[in-house]
Amino acid sequence: MTATLAGINDMVIRLFFGQSADSTMASGATGSDALFLYIWWVSVFFFVLLMGIMVYCMVVYRRKEGDVPIRSASHNTPLEIAWSVIPSLLLAVMFFWGFDGYLKASMAPSYAEEVNLTGQKWSWTMEYSTGIGASEFHTVGGNDNTPIFYMPAETPVRLKMHSEDVLHAFWVPDFRMKLDVVPNRYTPFVFTALPLDRSGADPRVEIGLSKGGQEFYYRDHTVFCAEYCGDSHSEMVATLRVVEPAFYKAWVNTPPYDVVTPPVEVGELVWKAKCAVCHTVDGGISTGPTWLNAYGYPRDFTDGSSMTQEEIDDKGPTKWDDYIRESILLPGAKVRAGFANAMPSFDGQISEVELRGVIAYMRSLSDRDPKSPIEGFDDLEAEAAELEAAEGGE
Amino acid sequence: MTTVDNNLDKLAGHGHHDEGSYLTPKYGPIGTVWDWMTTVDHKKIGVMYMFAVLFMFFLGGFAAIALRIELLEPARIIDGELTGAALKYFPGGGGENASIASAGNAYNRIMTMHGAIMVFMFIVPGIPASLGNFFLPLMLGAKDVAFPRLNLASWYVYVFGSMFGVLSIFMGGVDTGWTFYTPYSTTTAGQPQVIAMVLAAFILGFSSIFTGLNFIVTTHKLRAPGMGWFDMPLFIWAIYSTSIIQVLATPVIGITLLLLIFERVLQIGIFDPGLGGDPVLFQHFFWFYSHPVVYVMILPAMGIISEVLAVHCRKRIFGYRAIAFSSLAIAAISFLVWGHHMFTSQGELGAMIFSFLTFFVAIPTAVKVFNWIATLYKGSITFTTPMLYTFAFLFLFSIGGLTGLPLGALSTDLHLHDSYFVVAHFHYVMFGGTVIALLAGLHHWWPKFFGRMYHENGARLGCLLVFVGFNVTFFTQFFLGTQGMPRRYASYVDEFQIYHVISSIGSFTLAFGFVVHLIVFLHSMFLGEKATQNPWGGLTLEWETDTPPIEHNFHGDPVLTHGPYDFDEVVPPGWDPKDYPLPEPAPEGSKH
Repeated sequence: MTATLAGINDMVIRLFFGQSADSTMASGATGSDALFLYIWWVSVFFFVLLMGIMVYCMVVYRRKEGDVPIRSASHNTPLEIAWSVIPSLLLAVMFFWGFDGYLKASMAPSYAEEVNLTGQKWSWTMEYSTGIGASEFHTVGGNDNTPIFYMPAETPVRLKMHSEDVLHAFWVPDFRMKLDVVPNRYTPFVFTALPLDRSGADPRVEIGLSKGGQEFYYRDHTVFCAEYCGDSHSEMVATLRVVEPAFYKAWVNTPPYDVVTPPVEVGELVWKAKCAVCHTVDGGISTGPTWLNAYGYPRDFTDGSSMTQEEIDDKGPTKWDDYIRESILLPGAKVRAGFANAMPSFDGQISEVELRGVIAYMRSLSDRDPKSPIEGFDDLEAEAAELEAAEGGE
Repeated sequence: MTTVDNNLDKLAGHGHHDEGSYLTPKYGPIGTVWDWMTTVDHKKIGVMYMFAVLFMFFLGGFAAIALRIELLEPARIIDGELTGAALKYFPGGGGENASIASAGNAYNRIMTMHGAIMVFMFIVPGIPASLGNFFLPLMLGAKDVAFPRLNLASWYVYVFGSMFGVLSIFMGGVDTGWTFYTPYSTTTAGQPQVIAMVLAAFILGFSSIFTGLNFIVTTHKLRAPGMGWFDMPLFIWAIYSTSIIQVLATPVIGITLLLLIFERVLQIGIFDPGLGGDPVLFQHFFWFYSHPVVYVMILPAMGIISEVLAVHCRKRIFGYRAIAFSSLAIAAISFLVWGHHMFTSQGELGAMIFSFLTFFVAIPTAVKVFNWIATLYKGSITFTTPMLYTFAFLFLFSIGGLTGLPLGALSTDLHLHDSYFVVAHFHYVMFGGTVIALLAGLHHWWPKFFGRMYHENGARLGCLLVFVGFNVTFFTQFFLGTQGMPRRYASYVDEFQIYHVISSIGSFTLAFGFVVHLIVFLHSMFLGEKATQNPWGGLTLEWETDTPPIEHNFHGDPVLTHGPYDFDEVVPPGWDPKDYPLPEPAPEGSKH
């Protein structure tokens, strides 16, 4: 009997959440699913009861020739008290259960791993305790540059979230948890990811290869922005990659790029993390101008002013370097004709090294760059690889 | 003893049958148009409101179908390039500058258009202003509302406000969502149309206040002689409760939207953190109005269901007082639950209090459903279109109500908030509740409106298509929500596609159902069979007058002699509504 009930419950959870009952991947989520099941059974009971009576009446009391309106009770106090009090009690259980789960889900011990999370139109950025950020990206849905955020399993984590512009909300469906990300205020997103099953029984646990050539187990969870934030709201996704605590510790202490990383590569990483949602590098149309063959060309701005070819020729590369720098830190100063003033300021969120990286990367993407005779992006990558190989050989 | 003394008039030959109905044109074509445009007759204003809100419903419906087409594919079908190209042709779209611009994605604008039109221009004024305007005075036995000119003014204010809304669409559309959350709505650059849309909502609020005020005074002052508060039809109780909410809550949204305009235009920091404001404050203000307004949308629907159910089952309503008082209770509690829209953006204490109060409002709602189901017991149930829609209402509204429970409980809401589960839930309440009840009411009172019957089987087919289409569209969205599909997404991850495709197919069925209804209504208006005075055998006062009613509603002053649902006392065996008026019952003097 109990086995059957558990089986049916598992079916219900599968139906609603897509995976079996143990698909909840954070400690708080199990309680939320149990409450969901309770509400489900209360709802099913009342719905079937009400619809059953309705259909019964439809059949038995359908109008017949010569019907006389039957005098029947117009109210019944015991019945009315019963159907007010019993649901009230069932609802009281829902309230307390839900509140209890909510409190458990929003509290973290003081030793929790704290990671800073910034929401911005239309990307998420993490800053770990060691100062590093995401350095790997993959494709989720329509977003080719979805950042991968490493998170430790079995460890309480507190994401200290804040928004640079409008409201966002950080939602991890697998954790059954979401919280608004608000400008001018920190909100704590708290979770403890459940352990990774190394037996191979869990299809969601996969084996990856780290940069250092080390094999590691991981499980990915998709993050969505759940509070409407404009044009690319639906592309504001990220991946939480839960790994074992020891691997996490090693990972978080490995900087993604160091002094010997070529600026072009730094720029490309920054582009993926912060810029790709609006700027393409292949000439494609998006919210902002493409970076392909942009550097070094004259520009017209919405306020009627312009940056002419003569000015660029006079001043050399610094003219465009200044323009990029200004556009990142103070985007509204010069808005290119044909585009809206949609870009948020990155002042305070981008380091000098990263800024120089973006400039170098944009420069590498243009055929007007004196230093780069090669056209097109693929060739450039090849060139960068050659460069790296040459460095390695020294 | 007759039911109403105007019947005495008729018997005595004092009836003014040559007077003609309110629809009879008295002037030439231009004169008739002028007559309608300047009328203070609540019936004509009700009809004009009905056409206006149904027009808005179809406009919002087109937007909905456009959304469902876009969502057939995981990737965006209409991208920034296409939108930019289209925006060029709109005055507020930014001209040539907009070209690739604002990647301004069409989906967000159409989504906002759907929400704003359906909420502000259709569902809030929907039932009270159309059916309420027409039937509230008739059911009270009054010759008009208390302030007929204010009533006409409210229609013009409504049209004026709606024009602002439409204007903002022609200026390129608004992409803030119908909730206008700050700071997005105050900081998105270069969109004068946002102000136009906000102004539209602001102006429409006045039309609500005018109508509400009018109905409150009418209910207090113009009841027929002999009609005590508990002799009023439940539809009046519902409209009365609704009016109280409209008068008390609407000023808050007016103030909020004005503050929003001040912030945008004058750069005063109220909601924008960049200017020192608080974005969550806006949500509090907004939902302090918009949550009670959820009940402005649903209470009149509940009123219709009480009427239709009693008449088409020819049965005394079960728990009259419980239904009447639960309307008032809902109206009162509705002011205390706004915070449940913000469980994910406020502190623990607020979340706890609002979750608790939210469960409180569930009880009177549940009590109403229990009463309706109990009314069916030992009834004489017909399967006319209004009754079929009532069954549909009970089915859909129960689902809508029950799926509110995991949203009211805190830990489950953390997952479901702002997901498709919420979308499905409120469509089950707003569409499965309000629109379905509006359809029940439209068919129930249609003969009174235009003096003609509708094609019963045609309407039944429409009802079937709407019911099936609706469930296919929105039931799938519950699963989308629990599996992680957020609201207001133009593109999504591949595994959701199957659900979206099913949902879209449902929405096309639903749209087809409405086309069927439209055809049935048009057919009825021009070719329908003439309706009798009381085709369903209702006992409320609107059935005591001609069909369609004469200009002054009643021949003489109606006097109430029986309650609205006294079928078991006044309806004789084998009675056919065609034999209206009712035969005189044997004198017994046992009533009241």
